Amino acid sequence: MRDVWISGAGMTAIGRRTEPLQSLMAEAALSALLMAERERPDAIVVAAMNPEEFVGDGNFASNVATHMGFAEVPTVRIETATSSGAAALYAGFAEVAAGLHRTVLVVGGEKMTHLATPRVSELIGRSIDPYERLYGATMPALAGLITRALMARNAVGLREIAQVAVKNHANAAKNPYAHYRQPITIEDVMTSRMVADPLRLLHCCPISDGGAAVVLTSDRIGVRIAGIGQGTDTLAVRHRQNLTSFRATQVAARVAFAMAGFGPERVDFAELHDAFTPFELIALEDIGLIPVGKASRATLDGETALDGRLPINPSGGLKARGHPLAATGLAQIVECVWQLLGRAEGRQLEGHTALAHSIGGLATNNWVTVLERL
Amino acid sequence: MIVAPPASYCPRHPARMLPTELPGAGEIVSFTTLHSPPEGFKSPLHIAIVELEGGARFVCHGAETRGLKIGSTVAIEAVNNVYYFSSLGALDRARIFWRRAGRAGDRVNAIARSVVKRVWTGTSSG
Repeated sequence: MRDVWISGAGMTAIGRRTEPLQSLMAEAALSALLMAERERPDAIVVAAMNPEEFVGDGNFASNVATHMGFAEVPTVRIETATSSGAAALYAGFAEVAAGLHRTVLVVGGEKMTHLATPRVSELIGRSIDPYERLYGATMPALAGLITRALMARNAVGLREIAQVAVKNHANAAKNPYAHYRQPITIEDVMTSRMVADPLRLLHCCPISDGGAAVVLTSDRIGVRIAGIGQGTDTLAVRHRQNLTSFRATQVAARVAFAMAGFGPERVDFAELHDAFTPFELIALEDIGLIPVGKASRATLDGETALDGRLPINPSGGLKARGHPLAATGLAQIVECVWQLLGRAEGRQLEGHTALAHSIGGLATNNWVTVLERL
Repeated sequence: MIVAPPASYCPRHPARMLPTELPGAGEIVSFTTLHSPPEGFKSPLHIAIVELEGGARFVCHGAETRGLKIGSTVAIEAVNNVYYFSSLGALDRARIFWRRAGRAGDRVNAIARSVVKRVWTGTSSG
């Protein structure tokens, strides 16, 4: 297997965008290609969770490639719900590692804010088990069930899950690409509208538009993908015996670290999938970045803040950078690459090793990627 | 593994599933109240995961979650193919205990049914 390097990383500003999805993805792709100093990739992998419903376009690999002027470049589309961006990275990684292509562009994007919120929630909710959906289960509802179980078992309190939001908004305030750039307080979180008891509005990520892209190459340049792993679980949450940790994350981390040849102790900072703030606490422990039962204490103590021992979500995370579905898994990689190469102005971290974690559906199809600057 | 509703294959193995019957009482695994439920549901919408004997987990609706805790014993009952949970009174809990100690056949189902009827008669099933 060949080593795979990320030579370019680019993204759009995340938020409420008026441009068509194809334009957002082209903007991200061209900025990644510019950084990689490549005019044209040998192949393209496109990530989009549901452009058929969100923007009404199908055959989306060809659609995006043609829009960018790469109609003659071989292109495929990859989809694993909300982790599609990370899955596309895996597909691109496999193409380069196998020696099929030398340079692969991986680009993800989603455009949703032009639709009414109930419609967006319904479309995202289609990744939930159909029987659970019959009972009105939405992503926030299932996350609410998981949060209550977490709070009962691990002494995680309302303050801890609010602090994750406060920290990630503080980080996003320093990120010009973030959806929400205003800091918030614990009181703001704890008095925001109740969504799915005990989860309130400010525990949940926003609906965002945006695109993100990376250029992968077998040339030794930029940041190396040291390990990448996938983990899966049942579509139905009720078929899992344990609600307070995600098998899909645990397996993905195990596979990624096995490929990397080292463990979580080497990770300097991480981008974690905090679609709901308790998920950041669950991921910290599932991945092994923080010992089991200690994630909430570490968060309250500031260990995961930008100036802490282990900065988590320097970009602001899904919570505040925003969550344009299929762009998200790649936006996490973009942030890690920029940080590792000293391009994260205003929020620059020290470090050689970064980790990105993406959740597909309600943790049915998760990914962990470990990146290393040599 | 016991799953509900009935499925053709085990979610974790490509093995055929067989039908079985369970008493209609179990423990609350977790619950939430959804304040902006999807179209077609009334707000607030109370949803719980209830674990029955043998580990089968059901998603259920309920009339309220006041006083409910993780681990609370509840009855579940299908009304128009939708499962509902309801808190059990002390007498019902005692009857369940006796059944476990002795052998009272399907009495739990009967208890659960009567409890659920009390709660749900005359209310909409959402």
